[in-house]
Amino acid sequence: MTIAAQRFDDNPCRPRHFKPPPCVAIVSDGPAKQALEACRTRLLVTGGLFALVFAVVALRVVEIVAVGGSTAESQIGRLRIAPAPVPSHADIVDRNGNVLAATLDSPSLYANPKQIVDAGDATRKLVKVFPNLGAAEVYAKLTSSKSFVWIKRHLTPTEQYSVNQLGIPGLEFEREERRVYPDAALTSHVVGYTGIDNAGFAGVERALDGVLKERREPLQLSLDLRLQYILHEELQRVIDDFTAKGAGGLIMDVNSGEILAMASLPDFDPNHPAAPDPEHPAISLADRMFDRITLGVYELGSIFKIFTVAMALDAGTSTTSSTYDASHPIRIGRFTIADYHGKHRVLSVPEILMYSSNIGAARMAAAVGGQKQKEFLGRLGLLEAPKIEISEVAEPHFPARWREVNTMTIAFGHGVSVTPLSFATAAAALVNGGFLLPATLVKLPAGSAPRGQQVISAKTSEQMRKLMRLVVEHGTGTMAAAPGYLVGGKTGTAEKVSGRHYAERKLLSSFVGVFPINDPKYLILAMVDEPHPNKQSHGYATGGWTAAPAISRIVQRIAPLLGVQPVDESSPEVQRALMVESLQGKRIEAY
Amino acid sequence: MIKLSTLFWLVVVSTTGFAMFAVKYGVQSLEDELNRTKKAVVAEVHAIRSDEAEWAYLTRPETLDEMNRRHLSLGPIATRQLRTTLTDIPLRAAAPVAVDAPVVAVAEPPVESAPPTILASTIAPVSPEKPLEAAELAKPVSTKTLAKPVPPRRPRSLDELIAQVAASR
Repeated sequence: MTIAAQRFDDNPCRPRHFKPPPCVAIVSDGPAKQALEACRTRLLVTGGLFALVFAVVALRVVEIVAVGGSTAESQIGRLRIAPAPVPSHADIVDRNGNVLAATLDSPSLYANPKQIVDAGDATRKLVKVFPNLGAAEVYAKLTSSKSFVWIKRHLTPTEQYSVNQLGIPGLEFEREERRVYPDAALTSHVVGYTGIDNAGFAGVERALDGVLKERREPLQLSLDLRLQYILHEELQRVIDDFTAKGAGGLIMDVNSGEILAMASLPDFDPNHPAAPDPEHPAISLADRMFDRITLGVYELGSIFKIFTVAMALDAGTSTTSSTYDASHPIRIGRFTIADYHGKHRVLSVPEILMYSSNIGAARMAAAVGGQKQKEFLGRLGLLEAPKIEISEVAEPHFPARWREVNTMTIAFGHGVSVTPLSFATAAAALVNGGFLLPATLVKLPAGSAPRGQQVISAKTSEQMRKLMRLVVEHGTGTMAAAPGYLVGGKTGTAEKVSGRHYAERKLLSSFVGVFPINDPKYLILAMVDEPHPNKQSHGYATGGWTAAPAISRIVQRIAPLLGVQPVDESSPEVQRALMVESLQGKRIEAY
Repeated sequence: MIKLSTLFWLVVVSTTGFAMFAVKYGVQSLEDELNRTKKAVVAEVHAIRSDEAEWAYLTRPETLDEMNRRHLSLGPIATRQLRTTLTDIPLRAAAPVAVDAPVVAVAEPPVESAPPTILASTIAPVSPEKPLEAAELAKPVSTKTLAKPVPPRRPRSLDELIAQVAASR
């Protein structure tokens, strides 16, 4: 009996009427049996393989459970991350690499109230981390029906860590960036500030926004933070000493045009540009945002006389031994040009500069002529807006019709209003051998200083250096002297225009200094807006009493930092180098 | 009966299968490690950025000035504190003591008590007001020593001293 037939027979439940189908294969020995054997073998092999795989799986499970082959931490890596985020704006650093502006990650915390399980508990924990947040407010946010509410913007890394530690589901971070200015107000007007989305709103941030977005390397400015601090501090001191309304100043490398420091006071904190100054809440925001150096245009007064003298010497209408009658005031039209503390005698060209004679300067300019004067000032870039890497620059004011009276008043710095930056750029050209170099706020690679355009002859430039030294040695600028550093310069005291008249009490006192004057390297300009006389200044608020002492202090502080070696001022070499031939052997009258 | 070739292929398949999975898991774990490292790098970069900003904040001139005022009281270098040339730098007094001893004897009678201390006081300290004093002091001393036959001339500068040492060897 076959196997099939047996099975049917053994089944007790087999219906009696059922007969095994006649077609059931009757298996006997032979090829059929062999096929069956092959099937069995295959089944066996397949089963064995499956058993092997299951054994592998089982082993792996044992490994995971018992040996700890995989911990939760080892799975962190499997979470794919976005490529390293590049900050949207490059950093700004000073010439020595000190960070002036940096882009930092500052995550913001938001919540999805629908995922918050226990709003009360979450509120309690959050308020513990952020004591400034009101509990009621947070609770209201967490129980709102929205699916997105900001809890706090711009968290610090520590705060983010603390929130993560709370482990509250439903709280998420949004990656955001924030521009940070570690030096706060110190470089505010130069570096500027940014608004929402880090878009530049002022200063370099605004003017070079595109550059900062493209760069990955930090942008290196020409500023030197140490010098900036010294300038800033000394200007603040002048403001405090003379209860002035404001002050401004800059330090420039006369051989490259790089600006090493530039400050305008009062200033603002670029981290919180709109916040009031805690120390001087009365000063308006507009006043603090105003850059006196690049955006302010001023009639700078007597410091302009250096241009008059340089013009006359360069044009050949004067030599250092020429003399001009300064014994009587000049009356021209409705103006009277007089001297402040005049000598009332005939003055030579060095004396005109030394004693700052308005009459002498006016006569010198008149001898050159208005047309040439306009052309000369234009050549020095004083009749156009300064070109610099910030967009807060102002156009100068000058008369449309350049009459003789304009020529005379412009000779001593009234009638033309320029930005102090333009002034400094032009003044640098007078002392550096006659090359007008564009002022720049971006650090130039070593040895790549532009050649510059020759605006006065090298000889005139040399004469100007000697004359400017005389001003500090014997003239109005004696308080700018810094022992060993050979400062040369010129004082300036201008009356500010108030309505249609000049206001006698409202002064703009300034000083432009260059050192070492025998081999000029640095130019310093300091300008004080509306200083008031104090006891120490014996009732004076002129440039020689307010700005000049600041220049002296600045030079003494920055010269060692800049590696300028002091010299013996009385040594024969120095004396010979700075000797004005026309004054040789004459007694120089003190101012 | 399993054919020998079947067995062979079976072994080959299982070995390659095993090897494939081993490689796959190896790659996966390497990728995991790479990812972890990348994440760590990003975190580190961010940490460095904020550290740099913090460093800039903590070392801003204002803070340094304040700390200097509190702890060090350093001032700007005054002109008189600077020596700009090698000849301005006075030599240390200790070295030429033996050479100069007889000179002191000429100037002041008590020879025995004289040697190093007096010399140190006359040569070593340079009063801040007169930086060139030391060099000037050296002059008469050297001429007097020259009159004596024994010692070599006292060097006036470091360069001269080096030259003398070189010559004596």
